Amino acid sequence: MIKEFTKGLFKENPIFVIALGLCPTLATSTMVINALGMGAGVIFVLVCSNIFISLLKNFIPDNVRIPAYIVVIASFVTIVQMVMEAYAPSLYAALGVFVPLIVVNCIILGRAEAFANKNKVLPSILDGLGMGVGFTLALTLIALIREVLGSGTITLPGCVITVPVISIAPMRVIAFPAGALLVLGLLKAFFQYKADRK
Amino acid sequence: MKNILIIALKLAVICLVAAGVLGFVNGVTAPQIAASKAQAELNALSVINKTGTIGDRVEGDGEGVNYYFPVSDNGKVTNYIMSLKSMGYGGDLIILGNFKTNGEIIDAKLMEDAETPGLGKKAENAAYMTKFHGTGSDKPVPVKKTMLDAADADAVTGATITFTGVSKALEYGSNFAKKLGGQQ
Repeated sequence: MIKEFTKGLFKENPIFVIALGLCPTLATSTMVINALGMGAGVIFVLVCSNIFISLLKNFIPDNVRIPAYIVVIASFVTIVQMVMEAYAPSLYAALGVFVPLIVVNCIILGRAEAFANKNKVLPSILDGLGMGVGFTLALTLIALIREVLGSGTITLPGCVITVPVISIAPMRVIAFPAGALLVLGLLKAFFQYKADRK
Repeated sequence: MKNILIIALKLAVICLVAAGVLGFVNGVTAPQIAASKAQAELNALSVINKTGTIGDRVEGDGEGVNYYFPVSDNGKVTNYIMSLKSMGYGGDLIILGNFKTNGEIIDAKLMEDAETPGLGKKAENAAYMTKFHGTGSDKPVPVKKTMLDAADADAVTGATITFTGVSKALEYGSNFAKKLGGQQ
């Protein structure tokens, strides 16, 4: 059972191994705080949608399952959006358009289709948690590299750490979308190399 | 036929439940969202206005100006703070601008946007608006990248649509202030 949780962290990491949800990864990995906020939103939506899709798997007719999943997912995303706007307005302002775009994050629909509609509730929760945490870890790692090299800072909730030396002349390209692709590609290559050596 | 009806009914049930839940969450969060927006505007007003007393809110022209506040010093209107709307790259922009009665921009702040983090989002920084300070009367508001100096033009590269949205709104506000020309 615990394997359902841990597989999402490394062996089947959604970003580095399955390569799902790359668009928000590239877009929101500019600052560590954005990555953490986005990660929290995705974990919540993924776990909730996995629970409900697992519960409703016998109720939802097979030939309209995709629209039904999207309704469930979009509802949770809208809840996240409203709650975030009400209680964490600065995070909401920073993530902007990428909060509603969680709806079309392939990880969530992917897990609904590949896992939650075939499994019971508890494994689905663990799968959602593992994938969500795996996504957050990968996103935060990319954001950490990009923010340190690209801006010379580390922005955490409530404080900003300035990295000496780099902050004087940061590599601006790393902060741009091209830098996101570069960092993601190199990290994916690294994880592939690690996996191949085993 | 019967099968299709059952499928449609099931989908409708899912949608109904979802709509009900969302309505409930909206009911809980809407007052909080309105309160935090009002608070943010109040904070911004005190940041961009350093002189005079802010008067009562006046409705705008229904186009580029949502509403405005005349700011007066000893009974005479010296400047206007306006809530301006415009289009950015990711959707609507709401900008709070402070204009002298001759149209000169004193300061501005981007209040609401859905721009790309790391690019258009930079317009939220106070430093972004410094290139507009003092323009609008003697100097025209820079609405094209070629009207900026090299360093500022570099800073808006990659987010030209955001820049155009912000500058057009400020130009509109500047003209609106000229039109008001000191009246309440």
